[in-house]
Amino acid sequence: MRVSGRILLFVSFFLVPLTANSAEEERTESVGDLSQARSIVIDRALTEQGKKCVSCHVDLNPGIINGWKQSRHAHVGVSCIDCHQVEKGSPTAMSHEDLIDKDKHDASMIDKDVFVSVLVPPTVCGRCHSVEKEQFENSGHFRAYRQIIPKDSLHALVHRYEGQDHPELSNASNETGCMQCHGTKIELDEKGRPTPETWPNAGMGNIYPDDSTGNCSTCHTRHKFSIAEARRPAACASCHLGPDHPNIEIFENSKHGHIYQAEGESWNWDTAPDAWEPGDYTGPTCATCHMTGIGELKTTHNITERLYWNLWAKESKVRNSTDVLSPLLGNGKEGRKLMKQVCLSCHSKLHTDGFFAQGDKAVMLYNVAYWAPAKKMHDDLKQKGLLKENPWSDEFQITFYHLWHHEGRRARQGAMMGGPDYAHWHGFFELQQDIYRLKDIYNKRLASGKIED
Amino acid sequence: MSLVRLIVGVGLVGVFVAVSWVAVAAMVKQTGGEEFCASCHTMKPMAAAYRDDVHGGKNTWGIRAECVDCHLPHNNPVNYLYRKAVTGMHDVWAEFTYDLDSIDWEAMRERREHYVYDSGCLHCHTKLEAASEINNKTFVAHKPYFLGATKEQCASCHKYVGHKNLGEKLSSIQVGKE
Repeated sequence: MRVSGRILLFVSFFLVPLTANSAEEERTESVGDLSQARSIVIDRALTEQGKKCVSCHVDLNPGIINGWKQSRHAHVGVSCIDCHQVEKGSPTAMSHEDLIDKDKHDASMIDKDVFVSVLVPPTVCGRCHSVEKEQFENSGHFRAYRQIIPKDSLHALVHRYEGQDHPELSNASNETGCMQCHGTKIELDEKGRPTPETWPNAGMGNIYPDDSTGNCSTCHTRHKFSIAEARRPAACASCHLGPDHPNIEIFENSKHGHIYQAEGESWNWDTAPDAWEPGDYTGPTCATCHMTGIGELKTTHNITERLYWNLWAKESKVRNSTDVLSPLLGNGKEGRKLMKQVCLSCHSKLHTDGFFAQGDKAVMLYNVAYWAPAKKMHDDLKQKGLLKENPWSDEFQITFYHLWHHEGRRARQGAMMGGPDYAHWHGFFELQQDIYRLKDIYNKRLASGKIED
Repeated sequence: MSLVRLIVGVGLVGVFVAVSWVAVAAMVKQTGGEEFCASCHTMKPMAAAYRDDVHGGKNTWGIRAECVDCHLPHNNPVNYLYRKAVTGMHDVWAEFTYDLDSIDWEAMRERREHYVYDSGCLHCHTKLEAASEINNKTFVAHKPYFLGATKEQCASCHKYVGHKNLGEKLSSIQVGKE
């Protein structure tokens, strides 16, 4: 007994540190720790070329592979090469062999015949998601960059005023600002690589070298391309925010946002398209009302389809155009019907009709009591030569701009999306201040016949 | 006498019809492939890119699709022959009268759906719908097409099918009159 006890003690002396070691090893292996994601061998559904990409890039770009491996694409066997491969003659084609440092990496991994592109235009996504692409191409999002191309006043704002006409640096605010949401026409250098003046950007309305327009990864970010992510308000919030269209702030201010903030963590976010219904969630997000197939409605990537007004233009008009480049794209009456159908999934008809009656009243008040008189004064001063050439040092023109572009949008959008603080304090309260300021300046200039100092 | 004449007459007509049939069939076949189509200078880059492609015979199965398999409609024989006649005559006319150097082939490639017929693709890929179901990603990709939910045609997504690296061939091979 005594001998065997000693043996046990002796053995346990060696065993204890061993078991302690393996426990520690287990603790260090955690999901999401990229330093551990160093080797992936997938022998399922991927093509030979696809497997080769993954096996090297898991070391080179663990973040990209980590995102991809959690994606639906990885589930169905769509991998790097399926989206990034292009034909040799394509303007963005690069020989994979030329790209890599042959001292460090095995050049024989990828066939010499294989050409890849950094850029993946929406036409590539549309090869499988053709319906979504077509819907997008009929939506206001299609216009995100194209609509600002002809706006000289905007280019002057960016280059002359914000860029101070600097010979080399004047485009800075475009590259770091405008372009990151609106997109741009992506230009290539002589090697077919996108230039730093136009890339990277996450803009919605990019025009790609193959002439296709759009950007799926604005909402479904790389390389997970998640439906759950795009259903979250965060997907819209990275562009729809700030003083000129505080849509995420309005949402957070609304009862819908209140419920989302309180309960969103427990919702089902990845239910199949067209089947994501109340019950999966207890309140809507941006995507629920503007896109989902709630109730009898069909899922759409045309975010214009359910709109009645244009709520961002200088004057709000009812949508009545089939031209995708028109700010009035859409059919207002039909759009309102569809949006009401969304509401009726959770609200009574009385509630729904009453909500839109309140909102419409606010939009019409803005049109007649603020935009119309402000525009009249503006045109009058312009005709009499009583506006400064530089609008951004002219109190009248600055206030006029704020009236429609900031305060006016906040009032209208706050009213139509249930954000009371934005309808009132950030909206109409500021609008009345604007209009009185404009009237004062207008009267002074008319009386003196001069622009005040 | 008249009965013999009638029999001989019908027989001659029969022989004429049969010979014409064979001749037309042979001619239709003769004028449907690379050898004939690429006998015009303008088609040299297309033929070169075609020969480099799976559809042009660069595969391990030993088969190739002929030009007309993709570039003529296969929905019915009358339409097939009609389009063959129209495009054939147009191409001969163009070869002799157009300024061939001024043709913007890249712009025409953007209208690829106009020159490639789905009925042609599906004439060979007869079991595509069922075949797609074997592979997850092709199933997902072809579903909107077979449901009729998309307006896209085969060549909208398979943009470079049939002619490998055609862009490069178009810029490197001279097609103008010599």
